[in-house]
This record gives sequence, C-alpha cells and structure tokens, in this order.
Amino acid sequence: MIPADRDELNILAGEYVLGTLEPATRQEVEAALSGNAELRRAIAFWEERLHPLAALAPTAEPPPQAWDRIAARLGPASPASTATRLWQSAAPWRWTTAAATAAAACLALYIAIAPPAAAPSFVAVLRAPQQDQPAWVATAGGNGLLVRAVAGGTAPIDRSFELWAIAPGAKQPLSLGVIPADGRLELGTLPAAIRSGGTLAISIEPKGGSPTGQPTGPEVFVGALIQAR
Amino acid sequence: MDNTGVPRHRGGGRRALATVMGDKIRTLSSLQELIEAAARGSRAALKRLYELESRRLYGIALRITRRPEIAADALQDAFVQIWQNAATFTAERGEAAAWLAGIVRYRALDAVRRAGREVLSDDPALGDRAEEPDVLERLDDARAHGALKRCLEGLEQNQRRCIVLAYVDGFSQAEIAARLPAPLGSVKSWVRRGLLSLRSCLEP
Repeated sequence: MIPADRDELNILAGEYVLGTLEPATRQEVEAALSGNAELRRAIAFWEERLHPLAALAPTAEPPPQAWDRIAARLGPASPASTATRLWQSAAPWRWTTAAATAAAACLALYIAIAPPAAAPSFVAVLRAPQQDQPAWVATAGGNGLLVRAVAGGTAPIDRSFELWAIAPGAKQPLSLGVIPADGRLELGTLPAAIRSGGTLAISIEPKGGSPTGQPTGPEVFVGALIQAR
Repeated sequence: MDNTGVPRHRGGGRRALATVMGDKIRTLSSLQELIEAAARGSRAALKRLYELESRRLYGIALRITRRPEIAADALQDAFVQIWQNAATFTAERGEAAAWLAGIVRYRALDAVRRAGREVLSDDPALGDRAEEPDVLERLDDARAHGALKRCLEGLEQNQRRCIVLAYVDGFSQAEIAARLPAPLGSVKSWVRRGLLSLRSCLEP
C-alpha cells in the first residue's frame, strides 16, 4: 500500500530511487505510479536531487555493437507521431507580445459575438505521442467546445496545460485557453478556424499560459477532430 | 577515469556523425530537445542522444553491475525504454540528464538483482572497491552538486555510507549490511533516517 503520510511517502520514493526496496514493494510502487501524481513527484524529487551522485561512476566506452543492437530493437515510429509532426509544421513562429494580446482580444470578442449557428459536431480523443491510452476527450459543435481529462489531467507543478487548435493547413496554432486545474475547459462557441475540422493539442506552459501566444513548451497530447453525425 | 582499456575516438567520429544527420537534428543541442524529438519518432535524435550520453550511462551501469556484458544489456534495455517512454518525459518534464540516468540505473539494478552478485571480485580491472564517504570530495562544489554534498556531509556517517553505497554501487540493504558490516535492521533504519534528513535538508 502506498502511504498517505508525507514522510513515509518520501521514504518509499527515496528507497525506490536508491533501489533498496524488496521486489514486491517495488512492483507495488510501479503499479501505483500512473495513478498517483504525488508519488511521481516524490520520485522525481529524489531522481533529480540524488543525480549528482551518478557522476561518481567513471564513464566507460560501451561495446561497439551496442547501438546497432538498440536500433534493431526499436519499433517503427508510431502512427501518433504523424499527428505531432503536423504540430511541428506549425512553424517556430513567435508573435510579439502586442500582437498576441491583440489576437487574444479578437478571439475573445469573436467567441462573444459569433452566432452559435449550425456548426457540425466533432469529437476528438487526445493522446500522448506513441501512447494508446486516451488522455483527454473533446466534443465540439453548436454548443461550443468541451475538453475533459480522462487521465493525466494534472499539470506539473507551477505549469499549466494550454489547449490549442490547429486549423487544416494553418501555419500556427491558435490558443483556446488555459485548462483549469480541474481538467475541464469549456468554450461557448466553436472557433471558426476549426469549424470544418482540424487538430487539437495540449502543451505544457508556464503557469497561466504561454506568454507569447504560441506554444513554448512541449506538446504533450494531440488528437484530430473527427466529424460526428 | 576510464578503466575499460578501450581506446576512445570521440571528436572526429562525433563530427562526422553530425554531418550526416539532418539539419534539424544537428541544431538540436540540449538533451531535452533530443528527447522531445525522439518522442515525435526521430531515430536520428535517439542516436544523437546515444552519442552524447552512452559513455556516461554505460559507466553508471558498469559501476552497478560490475560486469561489462550485463552493463551492456542494461544500456540497451535503457535506450529501448528511452525510445518508448520519451513522450512520458515530455509530459512530465524534469531534468533530462537525471531522467536518463534514472532509467539506466533501474535497468542495471534489475539485471544485477536477477543475476545475483557473487561476482564482486570478478575483475579487478573494474575496481572492486565500493564508494566510501570520502568520494563526496569528488562531487562538484558548484551548482546543484553543492547542495547535495553539503546535505550528505550533514548526515551521520553510517546513514551517508548506506545512501552512497545504494545509489552509486546499487547495493541492496543486505549487501550494505555485509559490507559495513552491520546488522540488517540497523542498515534499514539508517537508510530511512538518512532519507528523511536529506529530504528536509534539500527541500527548497
């Protein structure tokens, strides 16, 4: 059982990183990892803080054939990476702060006045690249856009998840806003840019959202909008 | 210190490799960017990561396993896992070098626990000496190393030895008990108390 007590959790995480846990306890920790953000943070703390000790091991030249053996074991690039490449094609382009502010104001105005007219309905399932498990689900249509976390809805400490829309053929993503801590973001209107489809993506940004109006952190979840009837 | 006796040929090889890689990968400088590119399916990025980090990571695995063939397996398993889990890293962020070292350590620990460790004096060239407290002097005073060094020095000697032997040499608590020597129960409590003191010392 993973302890709730903070000291006990920190000791467990520390022993996990040191490698001194009994195999059964270690497996328990590994099984609990995906659902326990506090445990992951406690482990990350030790991995980073103890890491300087790794420098005490002298470097050494691995056997020459090691890379070839690794390369032979790599699977093909996952289909999910295609979706992220689309994201990458949204050029490394930075708006000035003023332009970003103006664009955000336009978007807000647009959302406020656009008629909730007969927009088609879409669904999107957002996943981490190379992962099968859905992390977020989005539904969109005449009533706007709703994005909800299915799993992994917690942003790292001092970071925010920000939702982006990438219109078909667009050069840069459009911010749809920072996702609140409860892992649920609702927009009253579907932005015009993605009314005929597109891609949704979520990136990790500084707390409160990207300061530039464009993604600055890694895109961590991506999914295409699929038209539903 | 490189005690494998294998000649190195770094500079030239690395430069040649860089020229055959795509522009994009060549411009990716940081480990973090390379991991993120690997998460998007770039094998060239993973290979570059291997070029930059394999000696350090193999050294960590060799220190723990003390047998080149087991260390090589751990290194290979680690890079396959880095490829598969790169997206997890980008999702959680964190310090790239520490993330990489963590993966290779876990794989090396798996391997050494599986294989048993009746081999401590197998190959004197690999050094059969476990790390002792004075190795802390080899930690950099600068940067983040300084905080860890200061906090480790603040621990009781037995607590410090337990933590260093476990982290650097990958010893189990029973192995630490045999080496010190000390009763297993004492080792367990030194590890626990040492971790608690370290945590409160390192916490921002």
